[in-house]
Amino acid sequence: MPDSAPLVRIEGLHKSYGGVVKVLQGLDIEMKAGDRVVVIGPSGGGKSTLLRVLMGLEKIDSGSVSFAGKSYISADGGRTAIDAKVRRSIGMVFQHYTLFPHLSVLGNLVLAPMKVRGEKRAAAEERAMALLTRFGLAQKARSYPAQLSGGQKQRVAIARALMLDPKLMLFDEVTSALDPELVAEVEQVILQLAQQQMPMVIVTHDMWFARNIASRVIFCAGGVVVEDGPPEQVLGSPKGERTREFIERVFHIRH
Amino acid sequence: MTLDFAIVVKYQDALLLGLWMTLKLTLICILFGCVLGFLLALARTSSNVVLRGVSSVYVEFFRGTPVLVQLFWIFFCLPLVLGIELSNLASGVIALTLYMGAISSETFRAALKAVGREQMDACVALGLSPFARTTSVVLPQAVLRAAPTLLSNCVSLFKESALVSAVGMADLMFVGQNISNNTARPIEVLTVVALIYFAIAFPLTRAVTVMEGCILKKLAI
Repeated sequence: MPDSAPLVRIEGLHKSYGGVVKVLQGLDIEMKAGDRVVVIGPSGGGKSTLLRVLMGLEKIDSGSVSFAGKSYISADGGRTAIDAKVRRSIGMVFQHYTLFPHLSVLGNLVLAPMKVRGEKRAAAEERAMALLTRFGLAQKARSYPAQLSGGQKQRVAIARALMLDPKLMLFDEVTSALDPELVAEVEQVILQLAQQQMPMVIVTHDMWFARNIASRVIFCAGGVVVEDGPPEQVLGSPKGERTREFIERVFHIRH
Repeated sequence: MTLDFAIVVKYQDALLLGLWMTLKLTLICILFGCVLGFLLALARTSSNVVLRGVSSVYVEFFRGTPVLVQLFWIFFCLPLVLGIELSNLASGVIALTLYMGAISSETFRAALKAVGREQMDACVALGLSPFARTTSVVLPQAVLRAAPTLLSNCVSLFKESALVSAVGMADLMFVGQNISNNTARPIEVLTVVALIYFAIAFPLTRAVTVMEGCILKKLAI
């Protein structure tokens, strides 16, 4: 893949629930391999839906998504075609952790590598332990999710997604359910990934985090991209009226 | 009136045989009934209208009629309908299995529902195939969640199994009734029979409570 080709190309994405509630109304985004995109915007503006579509969790009405030059998601006469092979190069972390409660931390990490790639348990566990060590969770390997704090759960969820060597990571409000004192440990892990040039799309309400991690900020409202640019511009001196209003309101709440 | 519980000791072999029959019958029906119940639960949550309709009618019918009537129907009517002779054991097993299937299907259905959509999202995001999703995520969680209620379903079945004495199966209840008729000592004999049922059912109902606590803690629900 040449450097100039986009990693993700979203074209004319429309998504509604039952044709009535229009969530995405013609979204066009191109993302380069080096991009760390933070999507901000009001609730119901389509941010989370965008991530869910990218993960292949939602049907779309029209439009298409390609990944690394390959067609990935397309709407075809009311049906949504998703390339399951391409989907495997994308990892996602959810707001509510979604760890498997009946499996230990280690069990959560090795399940997909063993079932999806046919990796041997010993090899998968070795990789899992290396990741857990890196995230400061090695001593929790045999614990069950219910025994962990929210911050630990979310770090495990990130490690679980990384076990499949994703080429793109999606973070959907991953710190929104956390107690304030636990937010930093999760953001630290994501910053660590950013330093290793992991391409990512992040939906967050945390403007401090957005400013620190983003190479690019997209303001999404009413199902379309309203503003798109470097963080210092979109967060610091937004061009659009709606963006300015939103940013002012968010910072007002924060400070 | 003087009570003489020593008389029961004289009949202990017969009572033990009856108990053995009761346990055998219960265990067989638990096994078949749970399998039937799980399949029924899948059918009731399936997208196929026919499957859903048939399984719902079945479950509601068996939950809404007395087990004794079901048992009599299978014992007296089924042979006429099918034109074959059924042994006492066979009709007892059929009746209690169908009953266990109906009540356990509700248990499984609730447990399947409790494995939320978010878990499925996580499975998709991890690229797990539908088969791996069912066997590695849905089934273990459903069984874990269903376990306490399932165990209390089993206790119900164990107690309801006394009804088979009405069609002449030599279970604990049947043997107890016979002994009490022959000895004219109903108080001693039937009290002991009740205590035997209780001695088995009580620890199991306690176990349900303990198990519930453990599973709640483990799954954090």
